[in-house]
Amino acid sequence: MNNIISLSGNLLLIICLATSMLQSLNLFTANSYTNNNVKLFSTIQFTSIVLAFLILIFLFTQSNFGFELVTFHSHSEKPFLYKISGAWGNHEGSLLLWILILTLFNFLYSLSAERDKLYKNKVIAIQSILIIGFVLFSIALSNPFTLNESPQSEGLGLNPILQDPLLAIHPPILYFGYVGFSLVFSLAVAGLLSSNINNVWAETVKSWTFLAWTFLTAGIALGSYWAYYELGWGGYWFWDPVENASLMPWLAATALIHCVVVLQKKNTMQSWTVLLAIITFSLSLMGTFLVRSGVLNSVHTFASDPGRGLYILSFLFLVLITSFTIYALKSDGIDKENSYSIVSRDAGIMVNNWVLITILFIVFLGTIYPLFTDLVLNTSLTVGPSYYVMTITPVIIILLLFMIISPLVNWTAGKLSNVIVKMRYVLISSLTLVLILSLYFFLFSLTELTIIFLCIILILTSISSGIIYSRKNIIITPSLGRTLSHSGFGLLLLAIVSNAVYSEEKIFDAKVGDTLKLSDNTFRFEKINQFEKQNYNSIQAIFYLMDKNKKVEKFSPEIRFYNDPPTITSETSIVHRLFEDIYIVMNVTQATNSISVRIHVKPFMTFLWIGVILIILGGVLSVFIKNKKINA
Amino acid sequence: MTSPVKKRLIKFLLSLIVLAISILIIVYNLRDNIVYFYSPSELQDLNTSDVRILRLGGLVSTGSIQSETNGIHRFKINDGNEEISVKFEGILPNLFAEDKGVVVEGKYIKDELFIALKVLAKHDENYMPPEVIDSLKQTGNWQGE
Repeated sequence: MNNIISLSGNLLLIICLATSMLQSLNLFTANSYTNNNVKLFSTIQFTSIVLAFLILIFLFTQSNFGFELVTFHSHSEKPFLYKISGAWGNHEGSLLLWILILTLFNFLYSLSAERDKLYKNKVIAIQSILIIGFVLFSIALSNPFTLNESPQSEGLGLNPILQDPLLAIHPPILYFGYVGFSLVFSLAVAGLLSSNINNVWAETVKSWTFLAWTFLTAGIALGSYWAYYELGWGGYWFWDPVENASLMPWLAATALIHCVVVLQKKNTMQSWTVLLAIITFSLSLMGTFLVRSGVLNSVHTFASDPGRGLYILSFLFLVLITSFTIYALKSDGIDKENSYSIVSRDAGIMVNNWVLITILFIVFLGTIYPLFTDLVLNTSLTVGPSYYVMTITPVIIILLLFMIISPLVNWTAGKLSNVIVKMRYVLISSLTLVLILSLYFFLFSLTELTIIFLCIILILTSISSGIIYSRKNIIITPSLGRTLSHSGFGLLLLAIVSNAVYSEEKIFDAKVGDTLKLSDNTFRFEKINQFEKQNYNSIQAIFYLMDKNKKVEKFSPEIRFYNDPPTITSETSIVHRLFEDIYIVMNVTQATNSISVRIHVKPFMTFLWIGVILIILGGVLSVFIKNKKINA
Repeated sequence: MTSPVKKRLIKFLLSLIVLAISILIIVYNLRDNIVYFYSPSELQDLNTSDVRILRLGGLVSTGSIQSETNGIHRFKINDGNEEISVKFEGILPNLFAEDKGVVVEGKYIKDELFIALKVLAKHDENYMPPEVIDSLKQTGNWQGE
């Protein structure tokens, strides 16, 4: 029976491979058969991978230990949800997920209405070449349907820190973003080949780019939130290489979404937009390579295999060389004449493009340099988080400045005096607010106050320019997406800075009945519970935040002892309040009569996540909003 | 006076200067924030006047862990040849144990004492930091595959 399942899984992959090869022919020939059946073939590509993926999930839910992948990454006593998510919580399965999303975007695009049919077929041909690359990889080097030489009775289990509802959905969402840029890449390369990069092209590209960007943003945010409550270090971003690997395509993509809009509105910046599209997808590929090859020394390293790394690396280089060659040959002269004055929205967007690229370069250098010294100089080192903070801070100030000014000036030629007039109330109120803040919160340095000041202006100007009040109803303007995302970004940065300055933490050796004090907060250590769950045993401590003698909030941090694989994890207990999170985590100690407890007070965390949600909402709106007024 | 060529030249030179300055700042910052990794043997040979933050990795020596009630822990890290005493104030990670691989970050003080500011935890109890594997291989004390 298992032989048949394994065979059909592989067969489905081969069907997808064969159809993709047929589709890729459209790039080279005007074969009428393949050209006329694009929709059908795209459906076959997608359906075959959906079926293969469902088979894999089925194998995991059945805990079929005849298969290598299930044996290594699952366990019969694992909760049902994690059996399903176990299907993509490993290298082979996540690769299949990657292919699934590649074919999904291919399929969705094949359904879309595109005036130029030959161009559309080229896009699908390029997308199919990408599919070929990954399906070959899956069949040859990381086959999810490999059988065990001898059937096993029990699996090795899934790493307990991955057994988390958020982490079940984090990879699909992140991949949706990463892989979404494959279609943007295909659209760009096909556009170069067909020489039709213009505002009509941008119209189509815009929706796909915003879609991928929104998912990438959400994926990064979910990962960050997971790290915040699961790793128990009190932080949400560690400048870890794996995190950086997802941040780099995001930075390039953020530059890209702005350029696509400019291209759509003004029919300029052709070659730069196309270049960004290529760079963004290349960075997505590089992210996959960095995470999946195991070359990174990361807190998140889950899989490693040099052979696989080599394949992805070769594929990455192939994609890079081919696309840049096409770019070099075809991009010459595609730019339409465009002159704009230094004070104009065009210039502002261009400056911030460069600022984003600079941040990208900073992150790239910090991520790659340790790899370089390790491989070439044979020296082990790490780049500390302060590198990123110190170098990015001044650049962020420039970014904020132009984020504020650009939307207020006109395209092509604007006037600074107009900006100041438009901003006068916002400027005065922000300045007053910051002055009051600086008196009350005296820990802020001048740089931090500058950033906070700019953030407040950004939020206020975004809101005031985004929503126009008419007599009766609020009209949603095309810029509402920008309003949400930009004010969300302001809020996010505001929260990051205040959080960094005002976070507090303290470690206690606590016995039951103890009273613990951290700044204004008093906690009581009430009792210890012990209990057994399906696949772990747990020690739980109960703490109460006290207000005089009243219990205000309950905390229940845990230490879990998982059986398969045998691992100990600390579960944090977080209480979210409007202005601060209180975060308690405990650890096993050598001492028997007390436990180690770490209490964090993290201000403004709620605002940080609200900021992120606003950014995402802005992205969602921008997928749908056309550049005309829509009545709410 | 301002011919298009001259304009373009000024633009080009200006961007070159901006580029050069920013790269200089970035690289300078990078150099300042690098944390080098040492094995106990390498640390012994190190010029101890270096007060920079560094990382030390190896195995936690058998029977060396001493925990005091005020959250101060003392233990030793070895690579089979040399041993370094470490002092750490804070919570030790769950997977910290004798004979297991560990990486600590902190400062090395002259009298052979390493003041750890961080003890880096990994998630998997069988996980061995790659640098520790390398240094154990170098001293010939690596017993894995």
